[in-house]
Amino acid sequence: MLEHYLSLFVKAVFVENILLAFFLGMCSFLAVSKKVETAVGLGLAVTFVLTITAPTNWFIHEYILKEGALAWAGEQFGSVDLSFLNFITFIATIAAMVQLVEMVIDKYSPKLYAALGIFLPLIAVNCAILGASLFMVEREYTLGESVVFGFGSGIGWFLAIVAMASIRTKIRYSNVPSGLKGLGITMLITGLMSMAFMLFSGIQL
Amino acid sequence: MANDVQTAEIKKPREKMFSKKNLRVLREPLSDNNPITFQVLGICSALATTVQVNTALVMTLAVTFVLTLSNVFISLLRNKIPSKIRIIVELAVIATLVILVDQILKAYLFDISKQLSVFVGLIITNCIIMGRAEAFALQNKPWPSFLDGLGNAMGYGWILLVIATGREILGSGSFFGFQIIPQALYQAGYENMGLMVLSPGAFILLGLLVWVQRTITKTVHE
Amino acid sequence: MHSNAYTFRFAATVTIVCSVLLAGAATLLKPRQIENEELDKKKNILASVNIRPAEGESFSRQKIQELYSKYIKGVVVDDQGNIVEGKTPDDIDPKTDTGLYPLYEYIKDGQPQAHILPVSGKGLWSTIYGYLALDTDCSTIKGITFYKHGETPGLGGEISKDWFTANFVGKKIRDAEGNLVSIQVVKGKVREGDPQAYHEVDGISGATLTGRGVTNFLRSELKKYEPFLKKMTEAEGGHING
Repeated sequence: MLEHYLSLFVKAVFVENILLAFFLGMCSFLAVSKKVETAVGLGLAVTFVLTITAPTNWFIHEYILKEGALAWAGEQFGSVDLSFLNFITFIATIAAMVQLVEMVIDKYSPKLYAALGIFLPLIAVNCAILGASLFMVEREYTLGESVVFGFGSGIGWFLAIVAMASIRTKIRYSNVPSGLKGLGITMLITGLMSMAFMLFSGIQL
Repeated sequence: MANDVQTAEIKKPREKMFSKKNLRVLREPLSDNNPITFQVLGICSALATTVQVNTALVMTLAVTFVLTLSNVFISLLRNKIPSKIRIIVELAVIATLVILVDQILKAYLFDISKQLSVFVGLIITNCIIMGRAEAFALQNKPWPSFLDGLGNAMGYGWILLVIATGREILGSGSFFGFQIIPQALYQAGYENMGLMVLSPGAFILLGLLVWVQRTITKTVHE
Repeated sequence: MHSNAYTFRFAATVTIVCSVLLAGAATLLKPRQIENEELDKKKNILASVNIRPAEGESFSRQKIQELYSKYIKGVVVDDQGNIVEGKTPDDIDPKTDTGLYPLYEYIKDGQPQAHILPVSGKGLWSTIYGYLALDTDCSTIKGITFYKHGETPGLGGEISKDWFTANFVGKKIRDAEGNLVSIQVVKGKVREGDPQAYHEVDGISGATLTGRGVTNFLRSELKKYEPFLKKMTEAEGGHING
């Protein structure tokens, strides 16, 4: 069992990285990868929120929204299918969780709040978070798998943004053609990074 | 309070439907202020659905539908939305529209909805839509908001279609699913570029497109 | 600034309007969506025995129904290899009916042409669903389709493409002695002159793990149907007459 989780984790981090293979979370990736410290902050916040929201949404999907999920509430609800409400409930849960996390951190760890605080509101509209929840439903994960997948995707995203930020601090000293500066060169580097990560696809699990 | 603002607006002389200002709202996002290449928004879905022109086109239509309507609705509600719950109301409007699109696709374009899979749902977190709602629709009347939505959707769409065309022709040798690279060329040793089908191809093509566009418009960032 | 009561009223109105709209749309479109899924399965069952529309065209909804009812017959087999009378694949619930497996027979002009087995199992990320059509010798593959999966587009997602599934046609799931060897999706291309080539197919570059998943679940699925396939081969020296 442990092996299975480990392999899922490695897959989520390296083999098919949520950012480099599925393009999720690109907006904040491009906007916040100019400095390493901020990249680390946002990366941690994303990992944290992903690890919480994936299992929360799993519960909601499993016990409320899925076809027949309401069977516990009585026979007559056995055939109710609310799965069309997936998107809206997931995004609401994510927004609520982000708010909650923000309040808890603010109260108990001002230091962490100072580091993560400004990034938390940004996260509600980070597609990686909603994407992970939607993938979890599409791939029919169990509770354990959804935790591991959420955490793994977060770490993968963290790795990618920190690597990108490090490259971008160096690139400032390079002579990049003027039209290519900013978004252009960042996209090209992301392409190369994505190619490098593809080499993990041959990994033996 | 809210009512006063509305009556004040109605009393103003009516602006022409296609006044210069409104046309600019429509035209600007196509090049000078393109949502993808200049505002750097909405890139996730732009890349993920561009393996084929077909899916890119459907994605563009879906985004156009959601973006224009969400702009109109939010603009209509702009004086009524309590500022405290502004963001969540915007999300609710957008999510509702996205679910509608998803349901319609599943019912009438089943094959394409299978290919787009989770990316239809991810329109909700497409930053262009939230961004336009916040930056434009909350301050403007419904008609300009509609034009702004349409303009941004088209600006998003043409980039998507260019990338998709490049990826499909280079990666699969076809366009809209029809083989366009002749068989003779394959026999002469030509091969499809597998890289284009994969994610790096999308990143690199978009990077090059941004380069070309910024060189033409001579914008310099950073 | 709006009052709290107003905020609550506003939120409630938005919630009600949105939910009524969505519930209405979902209820209205549900029957058609379910029908679509059914049709998609039927289309893939037909495609596995190579009944497919000409390139660039597609079957109409009626055409699929018509072809399906003309050529395909759904039956149920048990784990002893016997056909269960009076049951169709729609009657079995995979959760409760263990030991009962759905099977589709392709019958043309009163003669059985192929056995179509529903196959499913884990790929890299998700459960892959498909149909595998075996010739009446219960060894040669007539065709295979994968119709539902959550693999990455461009990588594992290529399994549903024709270039990949075309490789399966004509391969054997048995060695010369008739033992079940299933199908092996190799890494890269099948080497020429490989003695194992009769049951190997080309893999997808960049999606080794999806390929391995397909290899694994095809083997376990074929094992489930082995008693039935054995019976079919024994009957009249490898040929069954309808």
